Amino acid sequence: MLKVEGLTVRSGDVELVHDVSFDIAPGERVGLIGESGSGKSLTALSLMGLLPEGVTATGRAALDGPDGGGDDLVGVPESRLKRLRGRDVSMVFQEPMTALNPLMRIGAQVAEIMTLHGTPRPQARRRALDLLDRVRLPEPAQIARAYPHQLSGGQRQRVMLAIALANEPRLLICDEPTTALDVTVQKQMLELIAEVAPALLFITHDLAVVASVCERVLVMYGGRVVESGPIREVFTRPRHRYTEGLLAASKLTPRGTRLPTIKGSVPAAGRFPGGCVFRNRCPHATPTCEDVPALTGDGHAHACWHPAD
Amino acid sequence: MPTHAGTPQTEEPAEALIEAEHVSRVYHRPRTSLTKPGAAVRALDDVSLTVRRGERYGIVGESGSGKSTLLRLLCALDQPTSGSIRFDGQEITGRPERRLRFLRENLQIVFQDPMSSLDPRMRVRDLVAEPLVGLGLPAGDRVAELLDAVGLPASAADRYPHQFSGGQRQRIAIARALAPRPKVLVADEPVSALDVSVRGQILNLLADLVDELGLTLVFVSHDLSVVRHVCETVAVMSRGEIVESGPVDEIWAAPAHPYTRTLLRAVPTLKGLL
Ligand SMILES: Nc1ncnc2c1ncn2[C@@H]1O[C@H](COP(=O)(O)OP(=O)(O)OP(=O)(O)O)[C@@H](O)[C@H]1O
Ligand SMILES: Nc1ncnc2c1ncn2[C@@H]1O[C@H](COP(=O)(O)OP(=O)(O)O)[C@@H](O)[C@H]1O
Ligand code: SF4
Ligand SMILES: [Mg+2]
Ligand SMILES: [Mg+2]
Repeated sequence: MLKVEGLTVRSGDVELVHDVSFDIAPGERVGLIGESGSGKSLTALSLMGLLPEGVTATGRAALDGPDGGGDDLVGVPESRLKRLRGRDVSMVFQEPMTALNPLMRIGAQVAEIMTLHGTPRPQARRRALDLLDRVRLPEPAQIARAYPHQLSGGQRQRVMLAIALANEPRLLICDEPTTALDVTVQKQMLELIAEVAPALLFITHDLAVVASVCERVLVMYGGRVVESGPIREVFTRPRHRYTEGLLAASKLTPRGTRLPTIKGSVPAAGRFPGGCVFRNRCPHATPTCEDVPALTGDGHAHACWHPAD
Repeated sequence: MPTHAGTPQTEEPAEALIEAEHVSRVYHRPRTSLTKPGAAVRALDDVSLTVRRGERYGIVGESGSGKSTLLRLLCALDQPTSGSIRFDGQEITGRPERRLRFLRENLQIVFQDPMSSLDPRMRVRDLVAEPLVGLGLPAGDRVAELLDAVGLPASAADRYPHQFSGGQRQRIAIARALAPRPKVLVADEPVSALDVSVRGQILNLLADLVDELGLTLVFVSHDLSVVRHVCETVAVMSRGEIVESGPVDEIWAAPAHPYTRTLLRAVPTLKGLL
């Protein structure tokens, strides 16, 4: 379905994402986790051809067509990507307010993504209502006439999902789609995404959230995939010390006890240490870790010299 | 001597520090037509609560349930439509700002979004000293002392908020709130915008400061599991009302109100899934 090989993202001579490879099978839901500044969003934006000015991607990312042909997503001209974006691959962003046009009614915004890809206007209008209903917005006709500021945060995220699903994409990418929502609204949104996504790349920093939506997970740090595998295995038997740290930090211990944390903070781009990128924060680092550990193992893979067991 | 939070519950209950009685707040939405008045929103409906000295008091509820509205009233940043709020025995509603000095010195607030709650044009030094300047208190070495207390290097003083990460900005906001040596720290979703790893660092920092300084903490969150880690008492809000309140461990173990049960079920957890 989606095959990413050696994806590297640079800004000038600073590498922001390094040699990332992964696959997503049809119907599969894959999570991408890591702290803020790990390179998750840049990975997603590369697949959408939406990298910011001055940031470039190399490597290969191909989306299998239904007829067996493949579409390249990286290193192809904008004119070709434009055709795929919002039709074959689409994305729900973290902050719905900035992704929606404040001056345009909701119904028109949902219809627009279909007319852009050739659906006749009246048909697009009708389908927009169906989509608003499909993402379980109450009274779709009324919502369609509203402007974004008249909706709650959770409702705006559903609209974003309706827009993303409009052209029946083959791959849906969600970048922290529920981070700005409260737990009750988040739960509904996660159930909805799991239900409607064709194939899914789901980005979050919340391990409990990814565990409730995905089957497989990629752990990213310092622009690299440091561990990957089935969620259950990675979360019950983490091998990389970064994954281990993230898991420990996700547990809320009883009141009066200290919460486990990962020492220090994520370095700025270009300031990660050589060798293992986690070396300066890792409690298990030795001089061996000054060499880059390779990502090894099939199924459940990790890139650590002294893995947990 | 103030009772420290976390002391055994067999002690006499500490004296009441914040008392809200039958507090309501009605907002009027801006009118959308010339003929009809703007709709009235009852953001708080007959809310009463008591926060005792040294207590860690949590307020939990979904988005729009009235948590921030309640906090703004407790901090006298807004006035209730009806009801009474006393701080340390003194009524704070209906007072002009110049007669709220005792409150401003003793109660400070930290907001959710460290990105927008700090003025981007001000240096950290001036941000942290601002509450002192407002109260006409000398800053002296206080800024350096505060930055140290929240785990930031002294050099942070000369920089601007955008030069810091989300977690570091929240440390700056906490340093600023502690500047006038308040008795009460009010925190409105202080960790909701942060990564889990940073969330732990900030919650540990808050717990340390509350212990060391003998603070009373009012802590708002939409996540009951976070409130349970931080607070001993919780009030559950839904649609402008407190639907249930009491010791958090009891409510966690046996929620009485259906809304609390919904809230509990919504908490994402790793446990059930693995
Ligand atoms: N200035 C205002 N004018 C009109 N309505 C308002 C105003 N401020 C808040 N409200 C409304 O009052 C209700 C309570 O809002 P409040 O901000 O207290 O909720 P909250 O519990 O803090 O939510 P969140 O978790 O999203 O921060 C909501 O319906 C909100 O839309
Ligand atoms: N437009 C850009 N130019 C240069 N560096 C960038 C740009 N966007 C992001 N970065 C840097 O790349 C790194 C990864 O960013 P990002 O993919 O946004 O992380 P995440 O989504 O995991 O939080 C960060 O250090 C970030 O500061
Ligand atoms: S390779 Fe070394 S530094 Fe990196 S996570 Fe493993 S033990 Fe830690
Ligand atoms: Mg991101
Ligand atoms: Mg609020």
